Amino acid sequence: VESKMADRESLPKLSGMSPPEGMGGGRCSEISTELIRSLTELQELEAVYERLCGEEKVVERELDALLEQQNTIESKMVTLHRLGPNLQLIEGDAKQLAGMINFTCNLAENVSSKVRQLDLAKNRLYQAIQRADDILDLKFCMDGVQTALRNEDYEQAAAHIHRYLCLDKSVIELSRQGKEGSMIDANLKLLQEAEQRLKAIVTEKFAIATKEGDLPQVERFFKIFPLLGLHEEGLSKFSEYLCKQVASKAEENLLLVLGTDMRDRRAAVIFADTLTLLFEGIARIVETHQPIVETYYGPGRLYTLITFLQVECDQQVEKVVDKFIKQRDYHQQFRHVQNNLMRNSTTEKIEPRELDPILTEVTLMNARSELYLRFLRKRISSDFEVGDSMASEEVKQEHQKCLDKLLNNCLLSCTMQELIGFYITMEEYFMRETVNKAVALDTYEKGQLTSSMVDDVFYIVKKCIGRALSSSSIDCLCAMINLATTELESDFRDVLCNKLRMGFPATTLQDIQRGVTSAVNIMHSSLQQGKFDTKGIESTDEAKLSFLVTLNNVEVCSENISTLKKTLESDCTKLFSQGIGGEQAQAKFDSCLSDLAAVSNKFRDLLQEGLTELNSTAIKPQVQPWINTFLSVSHNIEEEEFNDYEANDPWVQQFILNLEQQMAEFKASLSPVIYDSLTSLMTSLVAVELERVVLKSTFNRLGGLQFDKELRSLIAYLTTVTTWTIRDKFARLSQMATILNLERVTEILDYWGANSGPLTWRLTPAEVRQVLALRIDFRSEDIKRLRL
Amino acid sequence: TPVPDALDSSDAGGSRVVLVSMVIAAPDPGFAQLPNSPLVGPTGHSGRMKSSLTPLGPPVSRDRIITSFPKWYTPHACLQLKEHFHGQVSSTCQSRNTGTVGLRLSKVVVVGDLYVGKTSLIHRFCKNVFDRDYKATIGVDFEIERFEIAGIPYSLQIWDTAGQEKFKCIASAYYRGAQVIITAFDLTDVQTLEHTRQWLEDALRENEPGSCFVFLVGTKKDLLSGAACEQAEMEAVRLANEMQAEYWSVSAKTGENVKAFFSRVAALAFEQSVLQDLERRSSARLQVGDGDLIRMEGSPAETQESKTSSSLGCC
Repeated sequence: VESKMADRESLPKLSGMSPPEGMGGGRCSEISTELIRSLTELQELEAVYERLCGEEKVVERELDALLEQQNTIESKMVTLHRLGPNLQLIEGDAKQLAGMINFTCNLAENVSSKVRQLDLAKNRLYQAIQRADDILDLKFCMDGVQTALRNEDYEQAAAHIHRYLCLDKSVIELSRQGKEGSMIDANLKLLQEAEQRLKAIVTEKFAIATKEGDLPQVERFFKIFPLLGLHEEGLSKFSEYLCKQVASKAEENLLLVLGTDMRDRRAAVIFADTLTLLFEGIARIVETHQPIVETYYGPGRLYTLITFLQVECDQQVEKVVDKFIKQRDYHQQFRHVQNNLMRNSTTEKIEPRELDPILTEVTLMNARSELYLRFLRKRISSDFEVGDSMASEEVKQEHQKCLDKLLNNCLLSCTMQELIGFYITMEEYFMRETVNKAVALDTYEKGQLTSSMVDDVFYIVKKCIGRALSSSSIDCLCAMINLATTELESDFRDVLCNKLRMGFPATTLQDIQRGVTSAVNIMHSSLQQGKFDTKGIESTDEAKLSFLVTLNNVEVCSENISTLKKTLESDCTKLFSQGIGGEQAQAKFDSCLSDLAAVSNKFRDLLQEGLTELNSTAIKPQVQPWINTFLSVSHNIEEEEFNDYEANDPWVQQFILNLEQQMAEFKASLSPVIYDSLTSLMTSLVAVELERVVLKSTFNRLGGLQFDKELRSLIAYLTTVTTWTIRDKFARLSQMATILNLERVTEILDYWGANSGPLTWRLTPAEVRQVLALRIDFRSEDIKRLRL
Repeated sequence: TPVPDALDSSDAGGSRVVLVSMVIAAPDPGFAQLPNSPLVGPTGHSGRMKSSLTPLGPPVSRDRIITSFPKWYTPHACLQLKEHFHGQVSSTCQSRNTGTVGLRLSKVVVVGDLYVGKTSLIHRFCKNVFDRDYKATIGVDFEIERFEIAGIPYSLQIWDTAGQEKFKCIASAYYRGAQVIITAFDLTDVQTLEHTRQWLEDALRENEPGSCFVFLVGTKKDLLSGAACEQAEMEAVRLANEMQAEYWSVSAKTGENVKAFFSRVAALAFEQSVLQDLERRSSARLQVGDGDLIRMEGSPAETQESKTSSSLGCC
């Protein structure tokens, strides 16, 4: 055992490497020699021996495994030895390569430095040539200018000056310091003199050409200015010339206006036409001369030209507008209207019709201005865009700002805004007064549901908003929509409201007999005599008719407002697609339009109020007595009476007849929608009232059957007159009929609670008991005993 | 068509004809046409569609989120002294039961003399810029500012009107339907303060009495020293109480109080909207309760149910 232990301990030293993990190597025996020595008992010794034997076996297995690896390790060593000389060879080669690379590198650097020197030399050479060229050019220019000036070939001269101006100033400076300095100095002096002379000549010739109105000459010299570096001057002089043209044409037109025959077809819009001519003239000028400006002055210069032109445009617009204000008495009319608009004003009212032409003209004037300004915006923006394609965002924004400022703050814009301000007030007056007239002249024609004022009022409102729309100004349009909303919401709604407030007159029995149809007749006859006056209604029939017509009017108003909103929406889509108005224009418009649409609901509310009033004053007082007759019909009947009822109906047929008669009258004079709502109210009323009388009656089995029949007839009839289902309204009554029809008290349980199936009980358990108690043949103890 | 233009029906009464001729007196539509004009040249038709602006858009920016009730500027002239949202309002907002309030806009109208800085105030708030260049507002300008108040999206529609007398006609057409009226004056110019009374009267005339919140705002606070400002404010507070308005001093140039002011405006308008909505809903419910006025019937389920109930009645 000991020797094996020693073997095992020396094993790591032998192999020179630790055995792989997990094979049990490196693990000392758990049993020490001392332990063995201390053992005395045989049993213990045997046990230890056995364990040692086990350990020995493990150690042997590990040794075998290690010895097996010996071969592979040896073969690897041999390979390694063989590699030795090869490595030495490789080292030599690598050193050689490094040397070569070094050499090449040096060579390359040498070469490139020479190339650099060459390049530098070449550049200097070029510069020298350039300078020589420049100096030659300078001479050439000098000579050229002299010749060109002598030959009056100003284009050529300008081209030479342009060439000279393009020369690098430092080059010239350097040249002057050279040997030939004095000569160059002389040349330069001559050139500068020539430049000044040319400038003077061009300016003078241009002035002569403009004076003579010689367009080819004007354009000739206009093209020369930028060559001399006089862009601004050229543009300003040229626009001066153009402005003169605009002005003379505009004056001519204005004189024509003053001489226009008032019977002329376009006399009513002559100022709008004059403005149009002015704008078209300017637009034509811009269109004609834009290519020259672009070609000879470069992109981005159109703005300058138009800025000059706009000044003249503003002046001419001012003249036209002044004449317009004077000739059309615009300000006086406005002041007059303003006075009239103040409530309880005493001044004589302007006839709104008289305002009509002037309002149309103003909107037309504004529309033309908007069109013109839009034209300018488009042209200037696209011109800027070409020039700014490479520019920074700031430059672009700066240009945009300039453009906005030019177009928004020009006198034309401000003047038009002022005119439109006055226009709004006058249009408001026109609308209000015309609406008042339409209300005052309100007539009703037989066979119509509504009276004339509704159609008229909406025609007027549509016309006024349409006119505001035609001005192309979103602010103006929105303002007008707001004013129309106010007019409809307060003034016109008040008219209808007051009519409804007069109420549907409570009627005597005779009146009921005659019915509303006769009212229509009376109305018609009075109409023919031209006496009908809606304000002073004396006869009840007329009052009734007025009420019903007003109900129809209210409903049509509500509809018309919705239609108006939709129409305006589609009308404006086109306008917005042209980019009219600012960025917020659409939101502004939508906001105002939704206010208008909200008025539609106010009319609906009014209609509902009116219907409730009609129901409680016209229908309820009549329906109630008819239903009360139910109480006088006994439902405590025998077979014989039941059969008799079959032949001679005691109540329901007459009731249906009465209802039919009454509703027929309303059907004739109310629109289908209102009639529908009214029948709905009526059926609710019938259901509530009938329930009331049923609970006051008593029944036996046959009486219950009779009631069931009656109710069924009633429901069948009402279903034919209403478009919506009335079953729901009669659900409680139907359930009461079911209860009154029972054989026994306990039969209710077949329909109650878990047995109710799809039936939803609308009656509470207490009500069920109450209805059961109406059956005189049911014992109250049975009813009490029911568990519901 | 509900709006017929056939007013000249032959059987119209005599008086009718007068009106008709009066209404139809407009010149023929040919007046408005411009054939072959250089103004509507070949480029005249090119244009781009503008997307319509909806109140729903990208998320509300952080400084437009209002969680706690914004405070008054001075307790001596304020519309409400309370420091929290109305109990009913905050509970409604918590349960997200605000109905359509979140989609609604409150209309704010800003009025006041020219050059008091109405546009500057609005631009400072909406765009956070201050432009020294004075440019008179023409007609009306318009901004929509979106908020999130107590977790509910809400928008103010701010109408910036022109102060110049000559544009008053057009501007006054926009006063109607305002929930908030802001009357602005220049703290350094006592005249403008006196004029606010007239401005307010004009604006209130177009609105239902008692339907608007009124704010009195003193602008250009930066131009005044502390003492001078106090002096001016005292005057203003007195007038604010007379007008039943809430008073604020602001500076569009430095931005002082601008955000706080508009937050206060938005919160008050929002609270009122929610309360109104609640009231309307509860009254609507009452109406349905006592019944039968107008109820939409005939949904398939209901019809079927009532049919079966009546068929049961047969047995």
